[in-house]
Amino acid sequence: MEGKELGLWRSSVIGAIGLLVFLSLWEVLVRTNVIDPFFLPAPTQVIDKAIQMTTAKDAVLLTDIKISATRVLTGFLLSVFVGVPAGLIMGMNPVIRAAINPIISIIRPLPALSWIPLSMLWLGIDEQQKYAIVFMGSFASILVYTTDATMRVDPILRRAAMNLGASPLQILRYVILPGALPDLLTGLKVVLAIAWTCVISAEMVGANSGLGFRIWTAKEWSDTGQVLVGMISISVTVLVLDILFRGLERVLLPYQRKTSGT
Amino acid sequence: MSEALIKFDNITKRFSLRKGDIVAVKDFSLEIKKGEILTIVGASGCGKTTLLNMVAGFLTPSSGNILLDGQPITKVEPRCGMIFQNYALFPWLSVRKNVEFGPKINGVSKKVRREESAKYIEMVGLKGFEDAYPGELSGGMRQRTALCRVLANKPDILLCDEPFAALDAMTRQIMQQELLRIVNESGQTVLFITHSIDEALILSDKIVVMSVRPGTVKHIYDIELPHSGKVEVQLTDEYLKLKRQIWAMVEEEVKISMNIVSS
Repeated sequence: MEGKELGLWRSSVIGAIGLLVFLSLWEVLVRTNVIDPFFLPAPTQVIDKAIQMTTAKDAVLLTDIKISATRVLTGFLLSVFVGVPAGLIMGMNPVIRAAINPIISIIRPLPALSWIPLSMLWLGIDEQQKYAIVFMGSFASILVYTTDATMRVDPILRRAAMNLGASPLQILRYVILPGALPDLLTGLKVVLAIAWTCVISAEMVGANSGLGFRIWTAKEWSDTGQVLVGMISISVTVLVLDILFRGLERVLLPYQRKTSGT
Repeated sequence: MSEALIKFDNITKRFSLRKGDIVAVKDFSLEIKKGEILTIVGASGCGKTTLLNMVAGFLTPSSGNILLDGQPITKVEPRCGMIFQNYALFPWLSVRKNVEFGPKINGVSKKVRREESAKYIEMVGLKGFEDAYPGELSGGMRQRTALCRVLANKPDILLCDEPFAALDAMTRQIMQQELLRIVNESGQTVLFITHSIDEALILSDKIVVMSVRPGTVKHIYDIELPHSGKVEVQLTDEYLKLKRQIWAMVEEEVKISMNIVSS
């Protein structure tokens, strides 16, 4: 029994039951005043709040999600456009790799939060500053993931391509890139989730819109319901992006579905 | 016709290791004629693969030249098409796209590419599997795809680096027959490397036995056996006599390489 996978259907049902039990327990504990709703409102109260925040005429929740998502995607895509080509070059060229690696080792451990002071001094609290935070929080990871993915492409495939007459540029385009793609997409999925934590931190410290800002101001007014709505919105958005990303993988890597296991 | 397609002109290859130099191949000279199937056999570590990699242009000789049609090979040479032991197929491309890789790289139009790949796919017996991915195929079918990919690139010579070593005995026998059929159909020149004397005898016009490190030509056999690829050949007296001779010679080298003093 132990360690064995349940089927998709059974695990979904069991998962749903688990979630339901958790929410019911929470609801009961609040409704019976074991937990003070001022500190932690019940799930139904959170849902009421969410409805209120989406149906009011300014639909503040949806606007916040849109703003935060735009910031994340802009910063993330900037990182991808710089990090992926740079990572490919680093993966293919040991000299460049050796030169850049120490710099990356210094930048990579820095939490995105630590870039906030400098970025605010340089860029204020505009949109650019949010993009910069996301960029700094995701760039080094994307670079490292891409470099690793490139280096894991079987060297015999490069040889085969050379033997068929491919130039270095053609090898990059037709062998390294498709060969590195599976690992690269896995890496990007992880980094996208990191990018979200970056933007939320940036919005809590200096912003006047976005999910992070909404959560932070709600705390100022002791509106715990709004805090929870904001937090759950983050989870749901990341989940939705994850599902979209999986769809992208299925489109880009059709051979993996057919040949799983080898 | 008797002009050499490939000529090894006194090749020596040294590798520098931390412990010092290793001479993998020494004073190796050999000619391969157009249309010939030549097999090199020898104990492991005799430098067979090094020789093949030098013909493909993956390695350069420390001294001496390898000539292709009279011209020294100085870079990776697409006219010498390599069949790798582990197939080296692109897993993200279908059989057809794998086969069309070379022509595509070399700017052959899509229409011509499609016609030619269909021809070669039929020749190697993969019709109906054009859209399959390598991961969906058996070992034998993968090696057919690899052979097909190289043929579609129209090389002057096929370099085979123990291409059937990873296959089971039965598939292996069938692939040997298939290779013979395809080579006879297309008139390809083949340089084949193996450590199986049977494989060498079944396939070759000429067998070169190599000495152990530093690898050099120990003996060359002209094989006059019928190349039908039929199993019966392996039961003839002529075949067994040659097998015994070649094995005696290879055995001596294997023992030297393993530091066993021969009696």
